[in-house]
Amino acid sequence: MKSILSVFKKEVVDNIRDRQTMFYALLFGPLLLPIMVAGSLVAGFKQMSIDFDEITELPVINVEEAPNLVSFLRQNNIDAVAAPDNFRDRLRDGDINVALEISSDYGAKLETGQPAPLILYANDADKESSKAARKIASLLNVHERTLDSLRMQARGLDPTVFDSIALEQVDVSTEGAGAQILSSMLPFLLIMSMVMGGFYLAIDTTAGERERHSLEPLLSLPINRSSVVLGKYLATLAFVTLSGSLTAIALILLFHYFPSEALSSVIRMDAKTIGKAFLLALPLTILITSLLIAVSAFTRSTKEAQTYLGILMVIPMAPFFLLQFMTIKSANLIMAMPMMSQYKLLEKVAKGESPETLHILLSVSGTLIFAVLLLMLAFWLYRQDRILA
Amino acid sequence: MIVVDSLSKAFKRKGRRVRGESRHVQAIEKVSFTAADGKITGLLGSNGAGKSTTLRILATLMKADSGNASIDGYDIGADALQARQSIGFMPHNAGIYPRLTARENVRYYANICGVPPQQAEKRIAQLVEMLDMAGFIDRRAEGFSQGQKTKVGLARALVHSPQTLILDEPTNGLDVMATRGLREIIRQVADDGHCVLFSSHIMQEVEALCDQISIISNGRIAISGSHDSILKNTKQTNLEDAFVAAVNPQSISTHTSEVPQ
Ligand SMILES: Nc1ncnc2c1ncn2[C@@H]1O[C@H](COP(=O)(O)OP(=O)(O)OP(=O)(O)O)[C@@H](O)[C@H]1O
Ligand SMILES: [Mg+2]
Repeated sequence: MKSILSVFKKEVVDNIRDRQTMFYALLFGPLLLPIMVAGSLVAGFKQMSIDFDEITELPVINVEEAPNLVSFLRQNNIDAVAAPDNFRDRLRDGDINVALEISSDYGAKLETGQPAPLILYANDADKESSKAARKIASLLNVHERTLDSLRMQARGLDPTVFDSIALEQVDVSTEGAGAQILSSMLPFLLIMSMVMGGFYLAIDTTAGERERHSLEPLLSLPINRSSVVLGKYLATLAFVTLSGSLTAIALILLFHYFPSEALSSVIRMDAKTIGKAFLLALPLTILITSLLIAVSAFTRSTKEAQTYLGILMVIPMAPFFLLQFMTIKSANLIMAMPMMSQYKLLEKVAKGESPETLHILLSVSGTLIFAVLLLMLAFWLYRQDRILA
Repeated sequence: MIVVDSLSKAFKRKGRRVRGESRHVQAIEKVSFTAADGKITGLLGSNGAGKSTTLRILATLMKADSGNASIDGYDIGADALQARQSIGFMPHNAGIYPRLTARENVRYYANICGVPPQQAEKRIAQLVEMLDMAGFIDRRAEGFSQGQKTKVGLARALVHSPQTLILDEPTNGLDVMATRGLREIIRQVADDGHCVLFSSHIMQEVEALCDQISIISNGRIAISGSHDSILKNTKQTNLEDAFVAAVNPQSISTHTSEVPQ
C-alpha cells in the first residue's frame, strides 16, 4: 500500500513538471474544448432553427395584386418587397433565398371563389433557401385556412365540416431537432476532457517509462507489479478526474457569464444541471483510466501508444455522432453500455428531465465492470516478459 | 550470495525466418555458476552472449524456461519479492527520470523499498559522499552526462543497502577516471561483505577487478573459476588467450583436449 502511494506521488510530481501533460489536463479539456465546441454548436444551432420573430424581406412578383396577403405577412414579420426581374438567377446564385409570385388574376379568382394561384420559388440545393421556403409555406398555410373558413361562412357552412382531420403536431422531445446536438454536447465535452486529461500521463508512465529504460530497474525493486500498475493508475485517475472537474467548473462559469438565449430556450446549463451531469459521468473516470493504462501497457513505444489511443478516441466520440443520426432507445442493454449510457443520461439531465434510477444503476455497474476487466488486462500485461521489450 | 543452477531461456524469433532456422533464439542454455559474498564475480562474454538475459532473470524481471537460482537463499521464482529485497540491480541503461532531480530519483527507490524517510536521507547523504555526487545531487537529471547517470543509477541500486549487487556493464560509456572510481566503489562494496555480480565484455576490467570469473559464450558458461585457475586450466598466460581458448577450443590446437567443460 505504501509503495503504491510512492509510485503515485512520484508520477504526479514527475508529470506536473511535464508541459504537455499539464496543457492537456488544465487547458485543453477545461478551456479550449468548450470554447471550440460550444461556440461552433451555438452558431450551428442558429442556422438550423427557424426564427419567426426575425424580420426578413420577401421578394414578391406582382406585390400590388394582393394587399391582404402582404399585410398578413407584415404581421408575421415579413416585409414583402418587389422582386427583381432576374429573380430566378439571383435565387440560383444564392443572393436571395426565396421569391413569391402572385399571379395577375389572383384578386379576381379570390373574389369569384376559385383557387387563387401563388408560386413559391426556392433553390432546394441550398439549405438556407429551403429553410426559408418552409417558413413561407407554413405561413401561407395559415393564411389559406383563414381564407377557407371565410369562404365557407359566406356560404352559410360550418367550416369545421370540412376538417375531416384535425392534425395537431406535438413535439414531445421538449425541444426541436437541434437540441439533440446541444444536449449531447455536455457529455461530449466532459468525456473528451477526461480522456485528454489522462492521455499523456498514461502514455508517459507506461510506454514512456519503458522507452526511457527506467522500467527494468523499477520492476527489480521489492514491489509487486500490480502495485506499480495501481500507483500509475491512481496518478492517471487523478489527472482524468481533475480535467473532468475543471471542465465542469469551466462550463458553469461559461454559461453563467455568457448566457446564451439560443441555448437556454432548449437545454438547461445551470450549475445544478452541470453538477448532476458531472456526477453521472464520474464513473467514467475509472473506465477511461483503465482504458488508457491498458492500451499504453500493450504498446511498445510512446509513438505507438499515441497512435493506438488516437484511434480509440473514436469510442468516446461514437455515441455523439450515432445519436445525431439515429434514435437510440434507452433500453436496459443500452443503459448498461459505458459511454453510450452516460450520453443518454446526461442528455436527459440537460433537457431538465430526471433519469430513471434503474438506468443510473445499470450505467454505473456496466461502466465499473468494463473498468475492472481492463485493469485486469493491464495487470496481466505487466506480468508478461514483453512488457520489458 | 547467488547460486545459479542450469538456467535456460529462449526468445521467440521475430521477423522472417530463413528456411530450416528454428522458431526460437536460445539466449542462454544451462547456465550455472555461483557468486559468493565478499567477492566480486564477473560475467565475461562478447556481444549477444547472454549476459543481460542472465542478469535479468536473476533480477526476477523475466522467468527462465527451466533451471532455478537463488539469491541469499531466496528462490527467484517462489520468493521473488524477498529475492528482490536482497538485490540492487542496475541495468544496461541507468534509466533515470529526467524530470526528477538526482536526489528525487534515489529517494523514490528508497520509498518503494520501504526505507524509513529519515534513514533514507542519511543513506543518501552517505551515497553522495561515496559516489562523489555533491555537485549534481539536486539538479534535474535531464542532460546528465553518462557518468553522472551511472552514479545516480548506482546510488539508486544501493539505497536500500542490499546484500547483493547486480550490475549490467556498469562501466559502459565511462571515461578512464570514472571507470577507476567505479572500480574502487565496487571493491569497497565487496569488502564490506556484499556479493557483487557484474557483466562485461572488457577483459582488462574483469582481470583487474574480479575474484571470480564466469566466461559465457553463445548462451553457455564455457568456464568458471578464479583468474589463476582459468589460466591454469586453459594453459594460457593471459586472460584474452584463455578466453579464446575456452570459447573456441579448436582455435588453439595444442591445449584443446584439456579444456574442461
Ligand atoms: N527480448 C528479446 N527478444 C528476442 N531476443 C532477445 C531478447 N533479449 C535477448 N535476445 C537475444 O538473446 C541473445 C542474448 O542477448 P543478451 O542481451 O543477453 O546478450 P548480452 O550478452 O547482454 O550482449 P551485449 O554485450 O550486446 O549486451 C541475443 O541473441 C539476443 O538477440
Ligand atoms: Mg547486454
